[in-house]
Amino acid sequence: MANRHVQFISRTVLVRNGNVDEAARLLNRILGREGIFDQFRRTRYYEKPFQQRRRVNYEKCKAIYNEDMDRKIQFVMRKNRLEPFPGCI
Amino acid sequence: MSVLFKLGFSLVSSAARNGGFLACSSSRALHASAACRSKDDRRNIILTNRRRDDGTEGEGTVNVDSVIQLRSEMFPTERTPDMLFNGVPFSKVPICNIRVSKNNTIITITDPVSGEARLLRSCGIEGFKNTRKGTNVAAQSTAITFGTNALNKGYTNIRVRVRGLGPGRMSAIKGLQMAGLNIISLTDNTPVSWNPPRPRKARRL
Repeated sequence: MANRHVQFISRTVLVRNGNVDEAARLLNRILGREGIFDQFRRTRYYEKPFQQRRRVNYEKCKAIYNEDMDRKIQFVMRKNRLEPFPGCI
Repeated sequence: MSVLFKLGFSLVSSAARNGGFLACSSSRALHASAACRSKDDRRNIILTNRRRDDGTEGEGTVNVDSVIQLRSEMFPTERTPDMLFNGVPFSKVPICNIRVSKNNTIITITDPVSGEARLLRSCGIEGFKNTRKGTNVAAQSTAITFGTNALNKGYTNIRVRVRGLGPGRMSAIKGLQMAGLNIISLTDNTPVSWNPPRPRKARRL
């Protein structure tokens, strides 16, 4: 699959000032965020349909919960208020 | 801020005593910072400080765009293959392939033009046997001996291409660096498919 892309353009990070660790972390972070590692691990063994269903349902619930919780935290932590200093004269 | 505010207040009150019609304008002149007083101001603040919208996270897009914008010079462009490293264009720099699996790590250097393997070293060759092959220590020591061999053969700049996930993934890269090889880029070449042929059945533990 990966070979269909242009080699050394896709999924590539250049090392800046000999800082290999930074580059490796950046590459791993992007791949992890995009779910490429997850997909790789998931396809090592066959995932039975009931497992797939359960996983997808769980992911949905988790995403909804996280979104709601993020919104709540944003609301509590908001700083851009109509009255900048409520309670002051 | 509070001092200024008080000053403004006294001025307002004195103005009010004098005539009463100057109050608003005179107090406004004393603000040192931007006054957030009305709905319009608030709307302006929101409009000017609006965070760039990358879409809803987790739904098709992920929050990678901001990372890419921050470190744009770390990602290759269409001109990267012609970039020179010690007089050698990027596309002609030898490739160091690291094949990582759960049980072993294999490192090779291939010729960029013909694709032939020039040097090969694995944790098994290094002397680690059985489960010890699949450890980060084994991968690191393999990478160090491999790196010194490569330096002796005259390879200084290499592009690293990693394939697979396992304990040796990071430590092999670190070992190459410790051996003194100059790594100019890191590439991931893990084969990942979203519609693969049916994999083997799951292990029963």
